[in-house]
Amino acid sequence: MNILESVRVALEGIVASKLRSVLTTLGIVIGIAAVIAVVAIGQGGRAILMAEMEKVGTNIFAVFVDWRKSDEATGREFSLNDIDVIKSRVPEITHLSPVNNTSADVRGTRKSINAQVLGVNADMAVIRKLNLKSGRFFSQDDDLGKRRVAVVDESLAGDLFGRTEPLGQRVVINDTPFVVVGVIAKGDSLLGFGENPRIYIPVQVWTYVFSNFVGYLEGSTASKDQVTDSMNKAIKVLERRHQQPGLYQGESMEQQMQSANKITGVMTLIIGSIAGISLLVGGIGVMNIMLVSVTERTREVGLRMALGARRRDILIQFLIEAVVLCLLGGAIGMTLGVGGAFLIARLAHWPPLISWWTVFVAFAFSAIIGVIFGILPANKAARLDPIEALRRD
Amino acid sequence: MIRVAGLGKTYNSGEHPVHALKDLDLNIKPGEFVAVMGPSGSGKSTLMNLLGCLDTPTSGAYILDGVDVTRLGDGDLAAVRNRKIGFVFQNFNLLPRMTALRNVELPMLYCGVPAQERRERALQALSMVGLKDRVHHRPNQLSGGQVQRVAIARAVVNRPVIIMADEPTGNLDSRSGLEVMAIFQDLNRKGATIVLVTHERDIALHAARILHFKDGLLVEEEINPSPVQALPTPINTSEGAEGEVAGR
Repeated sequence: MNILESVRVALEGIVASKLRSVLTTLGIVIGIAAVIAVVAIGQGGRAILMAEMEKVGTNIFAVFVDWRKSDEATGREFSLNDIDVIKSRVPEITHLSPVNNTSADVRGTRKSINAQVLGVNADMAVIRKLNLKSGRFFSQDDDLGKRRVAVVDESLAGDLFGRTEPLGQRVVINDTPFVVVGVIAKGDSLLGFGENPRIYIPVQVWTYVFSNFVGYLEGSTASKDQVTDSMNKAIKVLERRHQQPGLYQGESMEQQMQSANKITGVMTLIIGSIAGISLLVGGIGVMNIMLVSVTERTREVGLRMALGARRRDILIQFLIEAVVLCLLGGAIGMTLGVGGAFLIARLAHWPPLISWWTVFVAFAFSAIIGVIFGILPANKAARLDPIEALRRD
Repeated sequence: MIRVAGLGKTYNSGEHPVHALKDLDLNIKPGEFVAVMGPSGSGKSTLMNLLGCLDTPTSGAYILDGVDVTRLGDGDLAAVRNRKIGFVFQNFNLLPRMTALRNVELPMLYCGVPAQERRERALQALSMVGLKDRVHHRPNQLSGGQVQRVAIARAVVNRPVIIMADEPTGNLDSRSGLEVMAIFQDLNRKGATIVLVTHERDIALHAARILHFKDGLLVEEEINPSPVQALPTPINTSEGAEGEVAGR
């Protein structure tokens, strides 16, 4: 019997018992809907994460001391002179700053706040793409001249000075007074929410106020293709200068992005697998109903055999019925999944990403489920004895 | 047409083997109309299944249309049933969801007749049994007699060499039964070979030869020189088509 005719018979059967068909395919519907929604939401989430990381900058890197390899900290792992040496040896590194970080009480005109006090050089404004709301970031001259100037972030400024214009105000850190020369606009980064209040001061002053020590280095290159390479060159320079091979380790945004990508991929895979289990259950449901259908239609099978159907024809007919049923469920599930993905994307404010391959894979998967779970019932039908089958009520 | 020699069928279902059919020799010539009679358990159903290639004998030979079908495998037997045998059953066995037309098309689906030709031949067969204007009705919209006539159309649509009718009037009232017998006799006059199983003598008397079975044995062969002629009664719904059959 030709396939078209089998499809027609299958569709007639489905239409003849609509409720049963819908209930039968419910597992497939839910499974496909879940897979599509999860993958779409996962991809949307990944796209957002990547966009955020792009915003922070994909051309930045940091070099740390690998503390596992250094038995005790000497405080001499970096020196301020390293900056100029690295920049001259590795010209691809356009900006490089030491980063010293400590938390300390910062006293303003209104009140005293515990904040992150960062000692950096003028390059940091470029490296971290700091967006100034008012004033300026401190310059290289401020740093080298050890001027007591500070740049605060917007929310910290509000806490320190209330409604007073922060520029030109005095803050006191560790009994040392600073003049506020710039205010950093609140970031719109999703990743940056909940950050501690921050205040940036020249690193030369930081080492004087706190201790003569450099925490780690942060830098950027002109393009993101150069970043890992340049970072590794910088590490080599440091190793040679401090005669400490293997002491330093670097991290670039590119690597971070790759691992973030990997994590979201794994997450999608895990949730997708759970959705896949529901597809499996759905397939068993289809198999169950197909077995019932074979029993109900035993006489039809007997008749078809008497009229000249080979066992193969019967097998194919029931397989096609199972596949049609699953594809139907797949189509409904796809509609629900796409709808659900759009709905959730709208609520979560991120783009729903439904790629064509997801839709294709979902469809192919429903067909495969139909074949896998249709084989047992179809085989049962094909192996019926025509005489017995014809005698059945 | 049919040559059977030493045909036997033994079932080994229980402790004791059951000899459903024993050592049968039988020839049926083309164009013959043969009735098979016997009480239940006489072996007539087994004979039908064997002659209809639904079952294989445990002994003996069966030559159908020059082919030794006892040597054929499953797939070839299906092809023989498809092309050489037309079945008519007591309980009609039409597929309830399909129209009369598609029910009649069914055997042609299994030998790859193109859709257009399928339709034409099915329509032709249906008009031959007087159901030209009932082609788009489903079985539940037809009377018992009409349903059986659809089944006959289905049996002949693939131009079989032999028609196997198993109690075709068993589920019909006597008038519908006679209508059906009229169609069989008409087909027979046009050259069809028919084997009809029945337990009603009235029905068997429409055939020219009556075989009596008992306990798996052919016990008597009765020649009926003047078969009863079932007059095609005018069928209320499709007189034109019926006239066509009656006119030949």
